[in-house]
Amino acid sequence: MSAAKLRLRHVGKRFGADAAKQTVAVDDFTLDVAPGEFLVIVGPSGCGKTTILNVLAGLEPPTAGEAFIDQRPISGPGPERGVMFQDYALFPWQTVSGNVEFGLRHGPAGDGLDTSARNARVRATIDLVGLQGSEHKYPHQLSGGMRQRVALARLIANEPQVLLMDEPLAALDAQTRLILQDELLRIWGQDRSAAQRRTVVFITHAIDEAVFLADRVAVMTAHPGRLKALIDVALPRPRNDATRADPQFQALCQHIWSLIRDEAYRATVA
Amino acid sequence: MRLRPALVYVRTMAVFVAVWWLVSVWTANTVLLPSPPVVFDAIVDLARDLELFQHAGISLLRMVLSLVVAGALALPLGFAMGLRRGIDAAVDPTIELLRPISGIAWIPLALFIFGVGNTLPIFIMTYAAFFPILLGTVAGVRGVDRRLVDAARTMGVPRRTIITRVVMPAALPALLVALRLGVASSWTAVIAAELIGAPSGLGYAVEWYRELLMTPQVMSFIAMIGVLGYACDRTVRALAERFTPWAGDEWQR
Amino acid sequence: MNALPARTMRGLVLPLALLVAWQVWGMATTNPRTPTPTRIVRAAVELVESGDLPLSIATSLGRVFAGFAAAALIAIPLGLAMGASRPVERNVDPVIESFRPIAAIAILPLAILWLGTGTPAAVLIVAYAAFFPIVINAIAGAKRINPTLLRAAATMGLSRFAIMRTVVVPSALPAIGVGLRIGMGVAWTAIVAAELAVGAKAGGGGTGGIGSMMFIFYAYSIELNRIVVCMIAVGLVALVLDRALRAAMRWLMPWSAS
Repeated sequence: MSAAKLRLRHVGKRFGADAAKQTVAVDDFTLDVAPGEFLVIVGPSGCGKTTILNVLAGLEPPTAGEAFIDQRPISGPGPERGVMFQDYALFPWQTVSGNVEFGLRHGPAGDGLDTSARNARVRATIDLVGLQGSEHKYPHQLSGGMRQRVALARLIANEPQVLLMDEPLAALDAQTRLILQDELLRIWGQDRSAAQRRTVVFITHAIDEAVFLADRVAVMTAHPGRLKALIDVALPRPRNDATRADPQFQALCQHIWSLIRDEAYRATVA
Repeated sequence: MRLRPALVYVRTMAVFVAVWWLVSVWTANTVLLPSPPVVFDAIVDLARDLELFQHAGISLLRMVLSLVVAGALALPLGFAMGLRRGIDAAVDPTIELLRPISGIAWIPLALFIFGVGNTLPIFIMTYAAFFPILLGTVAGVRGVDRRLVDAARTMGVPRRTIITRVVMPAALPALLVALRLGVASSWTAVIAAELIGAPSGLGYAVEWYRELLMTPQVMSFIAMIGVLGYACDRTVRALAERFTPWAGDEWQR
Repeated sequence: MNALPARTMRGLVLPLALLVAWQVWGMATTNPRTPTPTRIVRAAVELVESGDLPLSIATSLGRVFAGFAAAALIAIPLGLAMGASRPVERNVDPVIESFRPIAAIAILPLAILWLGTGTPAAVLIVAYAAFFPIVINAIAGAKRINPTLLRAAATMGLSRFAIMRTVVVPSALPAIGVGLRIGMGVAWTAIVAAELAVGAKAGGGGTGGIGSMMFIFYAYSIELNRIVVCMIAVGLVALVLDRALRAAMRWLMPWSAS
């Protein structure tokens, strides 16, 4: 059994300097993510999913516990743990290729790459996400789905070992979402072996999305954010439209919903 | 369709001029309200012997100079204040104490220090432009989407590069808004400063002709003030269009 | 007793240091007219006790309020109408946009030609100055109204007039508030400028308003300390006016978040 790619050990996060008014976003969160695994974290609003992602990304330090990548403690952000944000965070003053090559031009991921090698990688990445022909467009000229592809391309161009995704499909309409779920799995390489795939930690609200994409689903509860359950998704890969019709898919969705339902209800009345 | 707004503009101004003409004929007093043709003649005369443009040029030059100085002071300070809370905490109270005292209020003291001449208007105008540019820069830097900075951090980009390659471009639209406000402030101040304490310029010319009771000329220079003010604003807006095409119309008009 | 928070303390360092440096510099120079903090305080006390400062501020404020009210009474309805109706906007806008770049102070010589150097001209200048920010923000406020709100009201059966009263005006109120605040600031600056300019020509006393008084201290009695007192007073009044308007707006709009 190979060692875990990412480890979270009793991670906790409190906000607020004033001892009386602190909020506990996350409490005693422990989880291992295997290399090449697609892990999805699901939970109601305010359960600390984004905080966990920020800790893994190195954007925020935990107030308790530790996080590791490959047995090394996580102490800050870096290109080996690429992040995709909910609102894309594309640089509006850069074209599509400008955005995709940004990390290679200005960050350590581009060290050792000369201009032509860099351009080649940028081109290859843009092709991979399906945006050929749009290299010179600006973000404000693109649709939501296209912007999401750019964000993904920017991330992948740096060849990260881990992809951290914070509700990347939340801002899209339902139909575009379904398309991009397929695209995401294709780009991730769902028909390759685990050793050849990147590790993914993906956050979402949508249970069906979680079950469709994941190898495992981590279910969190809110106030404070805790890990409630870890559920294996044994559905075969590659996943496609037929998967959604599979009765096991439905059963898994129902099961996860039953774990969260009460909390979700309370959030609408409290 | 593009032609229609221009036609409406012409029609409205024509109505305005017509009303003006009627009232001027009714009052029949060239000192009180000269008729449009008389004013038009005055404008043509002043333009022909270049006096109109000389004063305009002087005022414009003063404005540009004061913007450069104000920008040179306010932009670095604004960035520093926007990026580091510590600097903001130290400097902001002093700024807030000085800001309510408008540039105009400084005129008597400045007159005493500098006397009548070129320095006075430039000092007043720099002071007037400084605060809008500074405040707009701070707001622009603070308003940079944190996610953009985070995205760059997760790509391992060093802090220095983040400031030059992310914060500055992201703040640019707001900086141009600040510049527009600075231009407006400084152009208003130029008139007041020249009216009171300069031997040349559009404000001086307006006052000079008033004392001579030559109203058509007074109106000519006032019109010039309006035209140039509009032109400067349009110029900054064009700059913004050219350099920050992605920014929406957050700032109207 | 709690000490002042660290942030406030840090903020006071720079102004206090400047004040001290100024005082020291002033005491080192030989000219007794040089303004220093202590002399300014003394001048302030004198001006207040003699009643000159309060009187001049009151005079200026009176002119500001008159002009401001006149401007608001015209600009708010006009702006709302322009924002609500494209034809109205298209026809009136050219005149407004043509005059907007002409600062109020540039109109002052014309105003003096028409109305003399007294209060009527000053009120006209103030009204002219305040008019533009108020109308522009009123237009923006009327335009920014969420059309869905209007439709919701219509589907509940309200008449056009009722919709104006119950939806349009409250929706536009925040923007109008912004316009009023900016307009007040501009009005106060305009009155000081106008009084300064007139003071340069005429020669009245405290009844000329604070700008006029400031100019007299420069041109006739060369009282630099008194000039600085007036400058500070101008700043303080501007602050008070702004705060007062903000409070009034908050009271009028309890639902607003900011």
